[in-house]
Amino acid sequence: MNIKFVPGDSGMRRWFFQRITGIFLVVLLLVHFTIMHFIGTGETTYQTVASRLASPLWKTFDLAFLVFALYHGLAGLWVVVDDYVHKDGWRIFIYSLIVLGGALLLALGALTIITFSPQMLTTVKM
Amino acid sequence: MKVTFKIQRFIPENDTKPSFKEYVVEAQPNTTILDCLNDIRWHYDETLSFRRSCGHAICGSCAMNINGKNGLACQTHVQDLKSGAITVKPLPSFPIIKDLVVDLDKFYEKFNKIKPYLINDGPVPEKERLQSPEQQKLIEESTTCILCAACTSSCPSFWADDDYLGPSALLKAYRYIFDTRDTSAEERLSVVNDKHGVFRCHTIFNCNEACPKDINITNHIAKLKTALVTTKL
Ligand code: HEM
Ligand code: SF4
Ligand code: FES
Repeated sequence: MNIKFVPGDSGMRRWFFQRITGIFLVVLLLVHFTIMHFIGTGETTYQTVASRLASPLWKTFDLAFLVFALYHGLAGLWVVVDDYVHKDGWRIFIYSLIVLGGALLLALGALTIITFSPQMLTTVKM
Repeated sequence: MKVTFKIQRFIPENDTKPSFKEYVVEAQPNTTILDCLNDIRWHYDETLSFRRSCGHAICGSCAMNINGKNGLACQTHVQDLKSGAITVKPLPSFPIIKDLVVDLDKFYEKFNKIKPYLINDGPVPEKERLQSPEQQKLIEESTTCILCAACTSSCPSFWADDDYLGPSALLKAYRYIFDTRDTSAEERLSVVNDKHGVFRCHTIFNCNEACPKDINITNHIAKLKTALVTTKL
């Protein structure tokens, strides 16, 4: 079994940023859990989510969460492919899916977070 | 007491795939697995092949898979294992030459890749090249490797990619990169920073569990990663 890596880097940067984003995820998840499950009513209603998403601070927090979680998860998937998918064609195919899927999810997520304002829904309702 | 052995046999001239054969030998709790294998070979079945030399856990020849765990046959005693039949297999993931003897050519090729010898371009000193106790301490643990291949054979990253340098070669790379008498760290680091190199390690710790010398291999590999990230990122 002779494995050709496509593309063939050592994965040093991916390894490094996997760790960096991992550290950020610990912090962000701790904040997330505290807010969601220990502080507040414990209920997830439109009202509570909308009021948080209205503030620029929370938008920044959620954007950071989006970027770090997306990068971490997809870079992790990339590593799994590096290790276990040995056919060049499959590798290129899955790498493309990861890049395209990542870009799509990033765009959708960012769009949702950045453009969200609590008035939006009420306008639609009227 | 009587001890039952289930030994994986493969004779390339006769067999298409490996199969198990049972042997019952007389042993004491403190008899080594190597002594049992010798007993089988000398008194029951001379066609059984395995490697051994020193019998004292220092040559590294007798590494094999005993009850599912890689280790040295000469360092494992009957009493170390759960009662019942003792299953002996060759080191996993290496090509089998015969019975418990595996092909280690590629393993040694990788060992050679990291240039496992002192390189120093400086003038040759009159006497030995001195190190402080602290400098020696940096590499002391890594110098105790006996090149038995138990670690590399236990590594899932190696199972998935047989071109992966593997824990044994990486440990040896550490041993020279962090040796203050060696001047070729840069070159060795670039050998290790390869697509089949140090970043294929995912800190699984199988190598540590397999190592008969109790070397914390994973820790040494982590230091290689840190050295690379801090100098080459
Ligand atoms: C507490 C937060 C987290 C931390 C500290 C963390 C840490 C890590 C680290 C250090 C690795 C690298 C393992 C290696 O050496 O190869 C890794 C891999 C990975 N992570 Fe996370 N992670 C976290 C959360 C997540 C989340 C939320 C996801 C899913 C989106 C995820 C998905 C992955 C995947 C798919 C891999 C690759 C699998 C592997 O390399 O073994 N992680 N993680
Ligand atoms: S590090 Fe331990 S398990 Fe690996 S080759 Fe050396 S002695 Fe054997
Ligand atoms: S025979 Fe030498 S290490 Fe076991």
